[in-house]
Amino acid sequence: MATTAAPFPPAADLRPNVASADVHFPAIKTYEQVDNEVINTMRPTLGWFVLLGLAILCMLVGAATWTYQIYEGLGAAGYHPPVMWGVYIVSFVFWVGIGHAGTLISAILYLFRAGFRTSIYRVSEAMTVFAVMTAGLFPILHLGRPWKFFYLIPYPNWRLIWPNPKSPLVWDVFAILTYLTVSATFLFVGLIPDFAIMRDREKNPIRKQLFATLAMGWRNSDKEWRHFARAYLFLAAFATPLVLSVHSVVSFDFAMANMPGWHETIFPPYFVAGAIYSGLGMVFTIVIPMRKFFKLEHYITLNDLDAAAKMCLFVSMVVGLAYLTEFQMGWLAGTSFEQEYWWNRAFGQWWWAEWIILVCNCLLPLSLFSQKLRRNPSWLFTLSIFINIGMWFERFVIIVPTLSHEFEPWQWSTYAPTWVDYAILLGSFGWFFMWFLLFIKQMPVMAMSEFKELIPARMKHAAGEGGAH
Amino acid sequence: MQGVIAAFHELASAVHAVEDLKKERYPEITVYTPTPHHEFDEVLARPESHVRRWTLIGGVLGCTFGYWIWIWITRYWPLVVGGKAIVALVPFTIFGFEVMVLVGSLATVIGMFANSRIPRLTQTVGYDARFSAGHFGVWVETPPDRAEAAADLLRRHGATEVRHER
Repeated sequence: MATTAAPFPPAADLRPNVASADVHFPAIKTYEQVDNEVINTMRPTLGWFVLLGLAILCMLVGAATWTYQIYEGLGAAGYHPPVMWGVYIVSFVFWVGIGHAGTLISAILYLFRAGFRTSIYRVSEAMTVFAVMTAGLFPILHLGRPWKFFYLIPYPNWRLIWPNPKSPLVWDVFAILTYLTVSATFLFVGLIPDFAIMRDREKNPIRKQLFATLAMGWRNSDKEWRHFARAYLFLAAFATPLVLSVHSVVSFDFAMANMPGWHETIFPPYFVAGAIYSGLGMVFTIVIPMRKFFKLEHYITLNDLDAAAKMCLFVSMVVGLAYLTEFQMGWLAGTSFEQEYWWNRAFGQWWWAEWIILVCNCLLPLSLFSQKLRRNPSWLFTLSIFINIGMWFERFVIIVPTLSHEFEPWQWSTYAPTWVDYAILLGSFGWFFMWFLLFIKQMPVMAMSEFKELIPARMKHAAGEGGAH
Repeated sequence: MQGVIAAFHELASAVHAVEDLKKERYPEITVYTPTPHHEFDEVLARPESHVRRWTLIGGVLGCTFGYWIWIWITRYWPLVVGGKAIVALVPFTIFGFEVMVLVGSLATVIGMFANSRIPRLTQTVGYDARFSAGHFGVWVETPPDRAEAAADLLRRHGATEVRHER
């Protein structure tokens, strides 16, 4: 074939669009293979129906319990003075935290050009959106009159009153709503090229029309990709400070109050690190079974899990440092209230909860110094369950010991959740997993178009083999 | 709109075809690719995307609105606490930041849609479902008198299929 163009460089010399030096997928040869194998994961199975049914059942238990609580009043939830924040606020902070790893993986690691994110970022983003949707329920559940939640939104109204902009609770509304909107937008924008793939492959006319609508006429032209790449970069750049700000704002709910154990300047970075850590734990919890049941071991490789585990280990040490700093600040604060509070938390009334978090969040993750364990999916999954438990109790330990052990001894009390708290907590997991399970069978669990960037394009000398390597 | 569409199985062939089409001064060339490739960017030498302007304008407007709305609200409905400023810019920075991110992000997406001309109700002439899978497409908009020459060039570069479209 005659050409005036310069010889094309060999495949190994082509510049990848994302940093892929650290990621290799020897079992994946062609773009079509990526499409076929990812689309195959979307076929519903019996196991999926069983899990979805279980999630919906848990959600209905939670919904029924909430109805009961509305009828009976918040007293049914185990609140009694002075502990008026309990499982609901603990779970709110927990779920917001879960939502942080998705944006870390999809946005921050995108800016750092970490290639291992490509195989896990789609499910992490979906996890973020559903976790924030779950978190947003808890402040409403916590209201005596939940139907008036919209009073927190500033809009011209017949009441002629406005929210107080100096209250962290109003900051929270803005932070969470912005985070939910931007995360959902980020997820949707990333899905557009994949919707186009689904539109072009789908045989069922109704689903084909649905994907065609969602793809909005996307056709993979170079002009579209140019604008897409720029928009995606800016969205990642916006999402990065946003993810740091959201949990900082959540931490202000506590740090702005002059209470022992809460009024600390370390809270914003401490909360952000904890949020990322708990989110990584949940990523392992959902990605490892998905990897096995969807047979995606050659996409989500042991190298990817190893890299994510190293990140988890690093964040666990940041969280451990924050715990130690908190103790030190309490000890050196020079006030008996702080010292009393910290003693009570570590060795007194709440010692068991404190030691759960120290073991789950600081001690067990040290096992990840072992490369063998970092590359062991069963251990990573087991560890992730401990991290989830540890991070829920971290929020419990932040909230309840302070409220139950304020300045005056006559205020000191205890707290015990009731069955209503437990049922609604169970319902929140049902709600989260219901959305997640629906997502993984309706949408591609991996970004097919972005994954193709990591596969060397087909070259002339390998035309008959279906790949060039 | 009329022209020639070609499907390529290999990246190198498609890039070389586009390179030669540019040398032959065909004015309007569009490449369809399953995933972005720098090689096409370099050959096509498109200008910088305008999405960044939407981002900047959206971010500035959002930040301004975030501050303004709360300054207006606190002056309209002042909550007087002894010694505390009614208009407190430090806490309002949280709103300024959040609304900047919100409006800036949405403006970025709208800018991407506007520049990419989506949503599009009908598929463009010449688009083929293969272009979202493993094939590369090259669309050349050309008058009828140069169409055959363009088709020959594309075939010479190894196009698996070349079609005249209108």
